[in-house]
Amino acid sequence: METATPATSSVVAASSSPAAASPDGRDGTGQPTGAVQPTLRISDLHTVFRSRGLTVAAVRGVDLDLHPGEITVLLGESGSGKSVTAKSVMRLYGANASFSGAVELEGRDLLSLPPKEMLAVRGAEIAMVPQDPTAALDPLRRIGAQLVEVLRQHKVVPNKAAAQARALELLDQVGIPDPKRVYRSFPHELSGGMRQRAVIAIAVSCDPKVLIADEPTTALDVTVQAQILDLFQRLIAELHSAVLLVTHDVGVAEEVGDRVGVMYAGRIVEFGPAAEVLNTPRHPYTRALLDSIPTPGVERGRLRSIVGQPPVSGEIPAGCAFGLRCPHAFARCRSVDATLISVGERRQAACHLLEEEVSA
Amino acid sequence: MIRFLLRRIGLAVPTLLGVSIVIFVTIRIVPGDPVASLLGPTGSAEARERLTKDLGLDAPIPVQYVKWLGNVVQGDLGRSIAKQTDALPYVWEAFRNTLTLSIFAALVAILGGIALGVLAATRRGRVASGFSTAVSLFSISAPQYSVGLILIVYLSAGRGWFPSGGMRNPTGDSGFGDLLNHLWLPGISAALVPLGIIARMVRSSMLDALSADFVESLRARGIPEWKVRWHAFHNALPSVLTIAGLQVGYLLGGVIFVEIVFSWPGLGLVVFQSISQRDLPVIQAGVLVSALAFVVINLIVDALHGLMDPRIRR
Amino acid sequence: MTVVHQITDPTRPGAVEDRPDEVPAEPDVAPAATKSIKRRRLGWPARIAGSVCALFFLAAVAAPLLTPFGPLEGDRSQRLLPFFSGGHLLGTDGQGRDVLSRIIWGARPSLLTGLIPVFVAGLVGTVLGLVAGLGTRRINSIVMRTLDVFYAFPAVLLAIAIAAALGSGTSNAIIALSVILIPPIARLAESEVARIKSADFMEAARVSGAGWLSISIRHVLPNAAPAIVVYCTALVGLSIVYAAGLGFLGLGVAPPNAEWGLMVNDLRQYTFSAPQISLVPAVVILIASVAFNVFGDGLRDLLDVRAEGK
Repeated sequence: METATPATSSVVAASSSPAAASPDGRDGTGQPTGAVQPTLRISDLHTVFRSRGLTVAAVRGVDLDLHPGEITVLLGESGSGKSVTAKSVMRLYGANASFSGAVELEGRDLLSLPPKEMLAVRGAEIAMVPQDPTAALDPLRRIGAQLVEVLRQHKVVPNKAAAQARALELLDQVGIPDPKRVYRSFPHELSGGMRQRAVIAIAVSCDPKVLIADEPTTALDVTVQAQILDLFQRLIAELHSAVLLVTHDVGVAEEVGDRVGVMYAGRIVEFGPAAEVLNTPRHPYTRALLDSIPTPGVERGRLRSIVGQPPVSGEIPAGCAFGLRCPHAFARCRSVDATLISVGERRQAACHLLEEEVSA
Repeated sequence: MIRFLLRRIGLAVPTLLGVSIVIFVTIRIVPGDPVASLLGPTGSAEARERLTKDLGLDAPIPVQYVKWLGNVVQGDLGRSIAKQTDALPYVWEAFRNTLTLSIFAALVAILGGIALGVLAATRRGRVASGFSTAVSLFSISAPQYSVGLILIVYLSAGRGWFPSGGMRNPTGDSGFGDLLNHLWLPGISAALVPLGIIARMVRSSMLDALSADFVESLRARGIPEWKVRWHAFHNALPSVLTIAGLQVGYLLGGVIFVEIVFSWPGLGLVVFQSISQRDLPVIQAGVLVSALAFVVINLIVDALHGLMDPRIRR
Repeated sequence: MTVVHQITDPTRPGAVEDRPDEVPAEPDVAPAATKSIKRRRLGWPARIAGSVCALFFLAAVAAPLLTPFGPLEGDRSQRLLPFFSGGHLLGTDGQGRDVLSRIIWGARPSLLTGLIPVFVAGLVGTVLGLVAGLGTRRINSIVMRTLDVFYAFPAVLLAIAIAAALGSGTSNAIIALSVILIPPIARLAESEVARIKSADFMEAARVSGAGWLSISIRHVLPNAAPAIVVYCTALVGLSIVYAAGLGFLGLGVAPPNAEWGLMVNDLRQYTFSAPQISLVPAVVILIASVAFNVFGDGLRDLLDVRAEGK
């Protein structure tokens, strides 16, 4: 099994690969490196799960920078490793997961931080908005108590009274019309939209530098989705947090994303400004993904689904992971894996076809 | 909450009626002719008829039932054949002692079960989980009389660490220390089965709660692990409580054997003695009182469950 | 796990509960990660337990061949001999009877009063469950609400009340135990029927015009049977403990005969004078209970795997 090799050894393999973009991977993107230091820098992140003798490489070398006030979207199908990437940043996995690479929060490597210090980072410096607000709240605690718990935990308020006042303020800030009532409510007494607002209030309660949103609107009604996305954008503008938004929904990526990374089989296969990537995709997978989505008002003829299944994380084929499903695959795709290369201003993609184009 | 409680009490009424029917049936299935056994072989035909009428045995069965139920509601559970006294006061006196023992055993079972279950759920690894599985399996399988005798032989008879019996009047004034001393062995014997069951239930509910999404969210908020576990425990508690309450109810059954082994002057001992004397009214009164206590315990558990879980309080 | 500890509702979540040590399934990782190889054989604890159960049955069947002494044959001058003395492996009781021989002979009534009620209740409970599950809503509620009443008693107490009313004797003890074992089995059967009723092939059978009886025999029973049989197996350990309990109370076999529960009660007067001997029947019941429970448990696990494999 190719992926059974320990993550550390594949780090070496990746960085020694000649076709790879320069090790930090950003110079070619045209980003103003040096001018603004990224709030969070993910470099060559690998996440490997081991359970019952099986080894699964869920994330296989992800590079990503998050900048303050900017929403970076990770787009992909389920199983592509996008959520694992997000949770790896927070080190939310237990002993059966191992990480390699680096996750630097303002220069501090989170992956090597002692557990106790990591505890202080979670919720305070990096906060998460989870997928399902109903499941994310303790069903037996009132909303107010759950807010106060986080505020008190990270000592952002001097005492209990201040925590309560701050909690009410936060509930108001996320657009809850009746903060006092919601403060005293149990989760099951609120609507889905209200619950998600409450969860967002908890997430932003400690003014996090980085906000990770894992499919924040998937569990909500379409009308509520739009409201929550608006709230999200407003809050980020106010807080100036760096945001990593994980979604499978191209519409969401298009609407709120500043930049987007398309993930496939544990890697980013295409990266660039959201509008450009989603309008003029370069990677065959991105194109296939966009073709499989109905666009309202646009007559596209038949929707095309992508042929075949995404590879199971434990059984990634040799060569390009998308090779077996790619309509343009040729011999090289089956033997050599493609790495991210610069394909235009601020854009990257990992595809042998594009390599030839670039060198031509 | 009040409405929730009232509805639960309303639901208990048909159950109680059903219980009374079952007990009435056990009274009626007694083989043989009660009139003949009361009169003896020499009774004349007129005497037979008169007694049948006096006992109300000539009425149709439903009428007999209603009459019997009326008496039961007024606290008349018949007369003890052996003691020639009303059965209820006699049984009630013993029941108070049973309750003392049962409450103690319930405390041991609930506290011990929770401790063992939480340990099993939070300590990972084959050895710990195998050990707790074995312990709970063993304690679930252990008959109360076996455990009681083993405890007497190894902790009382040979060593004299604990008394093996001799409690005459647990609710009297022999002092709390003496009572506690006499409670340990019978309490543990009666507690073992429910302890194992509660431990299993706690373990599986804790594991369920710990795998719930909100636990990950709590961790993502930087809440320390012990507080996360406390949240999980809080969420596991309502279902644990339901099982625990049921177990306390079942204690009332198992405790009979324990009382006999330890000569604890409770309902079990009274029932045991009444069996050899064929004192049926006392046995039936005992079963009725226990069933009533069982229903009441279930009601209390329901109410507590409603208190602890706001979602079911409707 | 299905150790049945008490007569509780087998269909309620949590009543018969346990879960394997969890392997947290990684979210967002494709399914192959959680695929695991499950063993399809009884585990070693269940195999050992099964052998012990078999030994008990063998002893009961071959009692005359195995025992050096008759169950009632005793010499008062040889009373309360310690273990391993004078050919008495487990000593002698208060009347000088060989304890081991009495245990082996006692296996007959003890196992029978444990097994027969499970068998009877299994049949009656299955029929009740089928009637409730396949009958009209009205029939269902009459049967099920009647069964509910039995849950308002601690089962042991009800068995004692019934056995006491009927009078001592093996057959009365068997009747009493059968009565208290019926409700949980019937509930399980009813819930199984409800589950099967919603399956697609039932719709097909109904559309093809099969009759009530033919549906229940051809389709429902075969599908409900495995769960019921496994549950009944798990009930055996409990039933043996209850049967011995009734014997202990003097509601089973009459005194001079050998029966485990009766022996416990008979020998407990020697707790102080001959502690080891006084414990023998109590420990035998304990071993039988654990063995039958562990075996029933293993059987359940095995069958569950099969069900998953389909």
